[in-house]
Amino acid sequence: MAEETFEPLIIGFCCNWCSYAGADLAGVSRLQYPPNLRIIRVMCSGMVHPNLVMDALTKGADGVLVCGCHPGDCHYQEGNLKAQSRADAIKLMLQDFGIEEERFRLEWVSASEGPRFAQVVTEMTEQIRELGPSPYRMG
Amino acid sequence: MVRIAEEWLATCGGCEVTVLDIGEPLLDLLPKLQFVHMPVLMDHKYFGQTGEKEFEIPEADVGLISGGIRSEENARVAQEMRKKCTTLVAVGACANFGGIPALANLYTLQDLMDTVYRKGRTTEPADNPSEDIPPLKDRVYAVSEAVKVDVGLPGCPTTPELVAGALTALLEGKPFSLPERSVCDDCPTKREKKAVATLKRPLENVQLKEGQKLEDVRCLMEQGYLCQGPATRTGCGGADKVPRCIRAYMPCRGCFGPIRAGANPMVDMMGAISSIGLDARQIEDRMATFNRFVGATGRLRPLPR
Repeated sequence: MAEETFEPLIIGFCCNWCSYAGADLAGVSRLQYPPNLRIIRVMCSGMVHPNLVMDALTKGADGVLVCGCHPGDCHYQEGNLKAQSRADAIKLMLQDFGIEEERFRLEWVSASEGPRFAQVVTEMTEQIRELGPSPYRMG
Repeated sequence: MVRIAEEWLATCGGCEVTVLDIGEPLLDLLPKLQFVHMPVLMDHKYFGQTGEKEFEIPEADVGLISGGIRSEENARVAQEMRKKCTTLVAVGACANFGGIPALANLYTLQDLMDTVYRKGRTTEPADNPSEDIPPLKDRVYAVSEAVKVDVGLPGCPTTPELVAGALTALLEGKPFSLPERSVCDDCPTKREKKAVATLKRPLENVQLKEGQKLEDVRCLMEQGYLCQGPATRTGCGGADKVPRCIRAYMPCRGCFGPIRAGANPMVDMMGAISSIGLDARQIEDRMATFNRFVGATGRLRPLPR
């Protein structure tokens, strides 16, 4: 794939209670954000196992975005704190796999933060567009 | 009479010793077996490595292959074995996942050649040897990456019980497979899901009193020894099920490979380590440590710089 036509593929895991609703709000508010994100709705950001993130990154995705409720707002009390500690482990694994740290992001987006969601996605897409395709990208 | 052909590719020969190590069950098996080809045992030489002539591997019902595929010759031998054998069995960690030689997959072939032939402090720089030896593959491959394998017997080396069990099953025409369970499922040590120490170096001694039973020993990982048990398939214990290394009060090194075909031992181990409160940052060379025996099958590759 030529450099100028590179479109990053970003997998987004959004929690059902805050972030997915935030993404929904961004949509119904007709906010513009890049179409590079493929959203997967999960019940909680805390259930996104590092396996899923590493599988995504080593099997074709250029970036992974995990979105959860703000700390203290978790529908399951402390799922997002689990996500935070998993993110620490994931960052370590990224080093081991030789993947740039910027390709993984954990962000807190509440149900009312449609604009913030759009902004996060825009930022991340631009950042990854600059980094180029994932070293593990196939074909 | 079942005809057996055996080949060794990029391997040390330990798995062949295991075949001899079957012991008494081998006496029951042997009358039913006929080894038609086994270079390691019969010193059967053949030409063809450099392409003068085709290989001469006789037809056989069961083919055993140990070792991964490092060179073009290895690949051709594997293909010939596949053609001549009805059932192909990959024996040992190398044949199944690349094994120790596949640690080289962390580097490019160019890097390897440079290090061996040019960059060594005591090495007189020279070109890569090319005369009368088969060229190397770009990386180490597992046998299953080159040809279809019917049965896999992992382990470094594999165990006599597994070889005998697989041969018996094949003789009786029954299917043979390993359970999809982890070493921890068969480990008798006490687990309390909390580490009692920080990570130790592998050479430090396990804490135990003389004559203490394994059932009373605290889980080795919780004692701070890096044990690959959580991400490794069980089956090495044989009849009494206690994993081989644990029986010797040593942590598991992961030679049976991942629990399921698609699993990633690296990620599983990171999870297991952090869930009991150990710091993965203290582990040297995590990538190679957690993929010690499974470097082929796409699990180790040169890191992008």
